[in-house]
Amino acid sequence: MKSKSLVKNSVALFVGATLTFPSLAFSASCCGGGSASALVMPKFSKGMLDISMDMERYNGFWNKSGDYKPDPPGSELTQWRLNVGYATRLADRWQASVIVPYVWNDNQYTGFSSQTHGMGDTTVNLWYEGFDNVTCVWKIKKPEDWIPASYYGLSMTLPTGVSPFDDVADSFDITGRGFYRLDANLLLDKTIYPWNSTLALSYGKYLKRPVNRDYGKYVEPYDKQLGDRFNASLSGGYTQFLDNMDTLTYTLAFAYLQEDEGEINGVTDTTTGMEKRSVAMTMAYATMDRDWVFKLTASRGITRDGYGENFPVSNVVTVGVSHVLR
Amino acid sequence: MFFVKLAVLLTVVVLAGCQSNLTPSGDDERPEVQTGIVGNQVGQIAPDFTLESTLNIFHTLTSETGTNDAVVLYFTMWCPVCDEHMGHMRRSYVSQYPGVTFLLIDYVNASVTDARSAQLSSGYGDMLALVDVGWTVKDLYDGTMGTTVVVDRNGIVQMNQDYRDGSKLGQVLGALP
Repeated sequence: MKSKSLVKNSVALFVGATLTFPSLAFSASCCGGGSASALVMPKFSKGMLDISMDMERYNGFWNKSGDYKPDPPGSELTQWRLNVGYATRLADRWQASVIVPYVWNDNQYTGFSSQTHGMGDTTVNLWYEGFDNVTCVWKIKKPEDWIPASYYGLSMTLPTGVSPFDDVADSFDITGRGFYRLDANLLLDKTIYPWNSTLALSYGKYLKRPVNRDYGKYVEPYDKQLGDRFNASLSGGYTQFLDNMDTLTYTLAFAYLQEDEGEINGVTDTTTGMEKRSVAMTMAYATMDRDWVFKLTASRGITRDGYGENFPVSNVVTVGVSHVLR
Repeated sequence: MFFVKLAVLLTVVVLAGCQSNLTPSGDDERPEVQTGIVGNQVGQIAPDFTLESTLNIFHTLTSETGTNDAVVLYFTMWCPVCDEHMGHMRRSYVSQYPGVTFLLIDYVNASVTDARSAQLSSGYGDMLALVDVGWTVKDLYDGTMGTTVVVDRNGIVQMNQDYRDGSKLGQVLGALP
């Protein structure tokens, strides 16, 4: 009985520890980089440290009409991102986190190669937990057992990366987009052992900014605003309990990202706006006390027409570890 | 305690970032340009060059400006941003200005063969593309992805900046004599 109770509590903690949005990969070195994800720590913990490394390999792009086009023959375009995240509990139902990425761009064409690096765009998150007790169940015995764990969040993306509006030599130096963005986030998670499902929604608004330099050249100043951004992901997972009570969890996620057209001096910029659909698989190993979680994620962009618009197609492999502080 | 922790988090983030994007400026800091000399700034005499096209024909800037109303150079690496710019340029301006020569400058491929392959797979086989192996023209015009240069029939630079939404290119072409 004690063992079963331990499992219940441990899994509840584990679920919290693995709740991160799928990578909102907008990181092509030609378009701006860095990574954005929302770190959520377990309900009954004081803090959490999360470190991960992404390797994103680009493989063509979808044009504005949704047609897939390959990269130039012989090219290899890769971005590496080291993401360091820390979450801390502010109150019983409140937690905050910060994620700081460091970005390496490695672009190789037949005509030249370029290796640059720099800080990416930082994300600061504030989360409110809409529940007091663990919502994970083994069996549905009453209607309340269907209630998911709900999280309501605000995220602010800070333009700490190198953007096209900095003193850069060319587009290969870029590691960030150069805009502040405020996101409203909703995260719903339901676990009925050994299955779980997560729905993550976010809506973001970029703040308008003045620009007086493009790719290092001073230009006539103008105001620029990127379009609103919507992101949704739906995932389902299965947890396997090992003999020593460690767990392995397998998750399959589908993610959708859409960004409206931006504006220049209040006029719609029809060359912007984007859309992307991707799938991701995650395998997570957690120790018995769930203080340590090791994650491996593979996300795949689909190299076919109709799976995105005006956006690079990429495959991302992420290796990460989370440590929960009690 | 709530706000103290939040303030510490925010302070760490702000201290970590040292880019000008955190406090963007709208000040006009364009340097004074000395006109009448060779240079890549607006009002200066465009540096001449000769490049081979993906159709194995050599093109010289002064020859092109001498026989056309103007020459537009667009620096491309065949990326999604470039594709959107080039598509917009083709739809909005290429047919509207038949007296203007539009040249795509490929600065990422090592050979005419590679550049031609990239051009065709990107769907721009109907446009003229020059191959800038060794970045001769890229360096002359301080170009990068999306840089758009307009040189008028007198060989004077009328525009040298990012394509953005294409409106500046339309203004410059519309104002040509």
